[in-house]
Amino acid sequence: MTDVDPVQRLLRTARDDARDESFRVTGVMMQYYVVCKRELWFHSRHIEIDRGNSAIVRGTHIDETAYSDKRRHVSIDSTIAIDVLDDGRVMEVKPSSALVEPAKLQLLYYLWYLKHVVGVEKSGVLAHPTERKREDVELTDETEQKVEDAIRGVHEIIARGSPPPASKKPVCDSCAYHDFCWSC
Amino acid sequence: MDRNYHIFSDGCLERHNDTVRLVTLDDEKKYLPIEKAEAIYLHGQIDYNTRLISFLNKHGTALHIFGWKDYYAGSVMPKRGQTSGRTLVEQVRAYDSPAQRTDIARKFVDGSIHNMRANVSYYNSRGHDFDSELASLDAAGARLTETTAVEEIMGVEATARRAYYSTFDSILPDGFVFNGRRYNPPTNEVNSLISFGNSLVYANVVSGIRATALDPAVSFLHEPGERRYSLALDIADLFKPLLADRVTFRLLNRQQLTPADFETDLNSCLLTEHGRKTFSKAFEETLEQTVEHPRLNRKVSYQYLLRIEAYKLKKHLLTGEEYVPFKRWW
Ligand code: SF4
Repeated sequence: MTDVDPVQRLLRTARDDARDESFRVTGVMMQYYVVCKRELWFHSRHIEIDRGNSAIVRGTHIDETAYSDKRRHVSIDSTIAIDVLDDGRVMEVKPSSALVEPAKLQLLYYLWYLKHVVGVEKSGVLAHPTERKREDVELTDETEQKVEDAIRGVHEIIARGSPPPASKKPVCDSCAYHDFCWSC
Repeated sequence: MDRNYHIFSDGCLERHNDTVRLVTLDDEKKYLPIEKAEAIYLHGQIDYNTRLISFLNKHGTALHIFGWKDYYAGSVMPKRGQTSGRTLVEQVRAYDSPAQRTDIARKFVDGSIHNMRANVSYYNSRGHDFDSELASLDAAGARLTETTAVEEIMGVEATARRAYYSTFDSILPDGFVFNGRRYNPPTNEVNSLISFGNSLVYANVVSGIRATALDPAVSFLHEPGERRYSLALDIADLFKPLLADRVTFRLLNRQQLTPADFETDLNSCLLTEHGRKTFSKAFEETLEQTVEHPRLNRKVSYQYLLRIEAYKLKKHLLTGEEYVPFKRWW
C-alpha cells in the first residue's frame, strides 16, 4: 500500500488511471459506513452468511413503484447506480427513518462522483415515500468534505485485517450478520 | 428447511413431478415435503437414481445413508450453496499454523470436557456420587493449558472421555452394562446406542457445516482425512453429551428401549429396526428442543446450535476474533 490519499486513489481508479492498487466505493458501502462499520468490513470481504429461512436482508429500495415520476436508471462504471428524474435531479429513496443518514450520504456520494469523475454537477432529492416528503440534497463545501471524509473512512475500515468489534444497536436485529456477530 | 426425514422401510426413493416419493416394497407411496427437508436419512435398503440426486441438489437437501453394521455409511451432499475461496484459504492457513491449530483443537476439547461434565454433574446431584470423576474431568481440563501439540490435546480428550464413560455404568438402569467404549462393531447395547447416536450427531453436523463456506474436510483436532468430513468429527465431539448420550440415558431409564430392541451375535450388538426408529424419533425431538440464547436474545433449537458452531468457527477464521466453543449454559 502506498500512502496516496484514498480520495485520490478512488478518483484514479474511477478515471481508469490507477497507478497503484485500485480502490472502489459503491453506494451500499457508503450506507454501511454509516450503519455499521463491521458490516462494511464483512461486505468488503464478500463474507456471506446464510440465515436460512429467517434471513432478513435490509432492502435499500423499499418500493420502486412508490413514485410516479419518470426516472431513468443510470449505471456508471458499474460502481454507482442512480435514478435521474426528468428535471435532471438525482433521486434516492429513503427506506425508513432509521436509514435517512445512510441514504443521504449515499446520495451525496453519487453527486460527488458525478461532479468529480463524470464532470457534471447535479442536485439531488431524497424521497420519503411513507412520509410523502422530499428533501433537497446539495453538494456544498461542507457536504463534499463529508463525502471525502467518508471515503477515507471506508478505506481505513476495509484495509484492516480484522473487523471493528461488534456493538449492539437496533439495526443488528434486521442485519444478515446478526447470528454471525452474536452467537459468539 | 431444517427438518430431517428418516426412512426405515426398504423400497425406492424417487423424484415424482416436483416431489420426492417413497415407494415401499409393498407398493405403499409416501411423499416427503422437500421444501422443508434439511436432510433425508436412509436406514433401509433404498434404491435411488441420478434424477433424484439432481432434484435433491436443486433443493439443497442432503442424503445421509445409514448402513446396518456401521450405522453411518456416507452422505450425498448437495453442491454447496456457499463457496468462498477466502474462507478455504483461511481455514487451511489456520490448520497449517501450529499455534492456531492447537488453539482451535484445545477449544474443541475444552468445550467437550465442559459438556461431559454437565452430564456427570446432573447425575451427581441426583443420587450418584461422582465427585472423583468430576475431579478427573477438571484435572484433564486444567492440563489442557499446558498442551502444545495436537497429540497431547488428543490425549487429554481421551483421558477425560474415559473418566466420563466410567460414570455410565452407575447411571444406566439394571440390566445394561457399558463397561467402556467399544467400537466397530459395538459389543453391547449401550455401545450400540452411543455409536448410533454419535452417527446421528455427526451427520447433523455435516449438514450444519454446509450452511457455511467451510470445507468439511479440513479439521483441527482430528487429522484431516480421518474421515471424509473430519471437521464434523471435531464439532460433533462438543455435542455428543448433549445429544447422543442424553437420549441414550433417557430411553434406557424410561424403558423405552429394552433388550428386545437389539440383535446380538457373537461379537456385535446392533439396534433392531424398531430400536433405530425409537432412537431416531427421540433424537429428532431433542434436536427440536429449544433454549434461550443469551446473546442472540431468542430461543434457538439444539439443531441450530450445531449450525452456529460452524458460523463461530468461520468467524474466527475470517476475523481472528476468538472462537468460543459451545459450552452448555443451562
Ligand atoms: S449484527 Fe450488528 S454489529 Fe453485526 S454486522 Fe450487523 S449491524 Fe453490525
